[in-house]
Amino acid sequence: MTEQDVIRLVNEVFVDSFEIEKSRLVPEANIFMDLGLDSLDIVDLVVALQKKFGVTIRDDERVRTIRTLGDLQQFILTLKKEIGK
Amino acid sequence: MKRVAITGAGVITPLGNNVATLINGLEQGKNSTVYIPEWEKYKGLRSLVGAPAVLENEKLIPRQNRRSMGRLSIFAVQAAEQALRDANIPQDALSGGRLGCVIGSTMGSAESIAEAFETLLPDNDLSKLTSTKFFQCVSHTAALNVGQCLGITGTVMSTNAACASALQAIGTGYDLIRLGEQDIMLCGGAEGLHPTVVGSFDVLFATSTKFNQNPKATPRPFDAQRDGLVCGEGSGIVVLEDYDCAKKRGAKIYAEIIGFNSFGNGSHVSESSREAITACIKETLKRAQVSPQEIDYINAHATATIQGDKEEAAALREIFGANVPVSSLKGNLGHTLGASGAIELIASLMMMEKSIIYPTLNLTSPDKECQGINHIMQPLRKKINLLLKNCFAFGGINASLVCKKE
Repeated sequence: MTEQDVIRLVNEVFVDSFEIEKSRLVPEANIFMDLGLDSLDIVDLVVALQKKFGVTIRDDERVRTIRTLGDLQQFILTLKKEIGK
Repeated sequence: MKRVAITGAGVITPLGNNVATLINGLEQGKNSTVYIPEWEKYKGLRSLVGAPAVLENEKLIPRQNRRSMGRLSIFAVQAAEQALRDANIPQDALSGGRLGCVIGSTMGSAESIAEAFETLLPDNDLSKLTSTKFFQCVSHTAALNVGQCLGITGTVMSTNAACASALQAIGTGYDLIRLGEQDIMLCGGAEGLHPTVVGSFDVLFATSTKFNQNPKATPRPFDAQRDGLVCGEGSGIVVLEDYDCAKKRGAKIYAEIIGFNSFGNGSHVSESSREAITACIKETLKRAQVSPQEIDYINAHATATIQGDKEEAAALREIFGANVPVSSLKGNLGHTLGASGAIELIASLMMMEKSIIYPTLNLTSPDKECQGINHIMQPLRKKINLLLKNCFAFGGINASLVCKKE
């Protein structure tokens, strides 16, 4: 899976699950402030990403440092690389 | 005690998604039962007919409100919004603490509950459950979602008494206003059609099973050929208001609620009891301070079950004899369960407004055990000053309400 594939699939989750227009999905967008997700949405974001990428995120401490869409895309890329190893 | 007026109404029903369409459907004698081929896959489900409503415009509800709603809560919010508009309630009343809502349903969204178990059980894996599924599944889902979506800060409460849910909700709102605890209440019920709900009646032999190939001929309340109920869905919400406040602001008043009662039968969870129904209605009339002969129209519960219809007919026969006109709207709407009390009350209020009684659709030959009451089998022009609405629920819970024309 390429970096572009990961970005596209992460963005799909925001469009499909949270009805956010593609034009707003820029890497610097803050997930809370700019994209409007709240605590319940974060739970659903984790569920959707785990299903989409076949990864386990829920108990990963690194999730707490994620602020922007770009942070999240890079985190998923890192996870995929770790699985690849 | 304060007086209580009904000043607004909203509906989502199998006959249409507003009051005008509902009444138009009743006027035209429409039946909303359809064959549902998707249910053929369920082993042991014999009733393959239902009365579905159309889910539409749901995306007009903001996502962050909609995410906690199953099908029935969406119906409830849409009906509540209609009712508020109809009553012309100002927006700021919603957050003033003097407006509340009591909305019931048989249970939480059946569709959402099924989805939750389908997600959870194959792998016994909780991590796949989304955060908002809980709010769709809880028994107070309709009330909580209407409260949250509309920003209601007064009383938010749920009555979950199966098919008596909506009438109990209206009765509870009536009490809250009578006691002066709230000024305006959004009250009613909601229900979603789902095979698990139909199945719960089917295993008790309470559903219609002989008309799968001829769905328009069922349900048949009070009829000799009736063979059970047809499940429907939707929502009905009324705006109840302090009568004096409503008069002061010049609101349109559909009717005044003058009596409500809900009694248990204390004898059987599923078998209707003519004695218990009689006791419930008599107490309602007593509270309303009206005699049986003063009632101009009875909107019956009559779902078309073999047992329930004859018990209700026996109770009506004992109290009212053959004088007071009786009809059931289940032949048009199916049984909208937790929503039925409100949807059918709203239809009855419109009959009161139009001075007409819509007949019991599919009643062509009253069962001998349902005779001795004044069955309305053709539209009847009649001035309605006082009406009685009945709802009877599994669990032996009965409820009745009396409304007086303004």
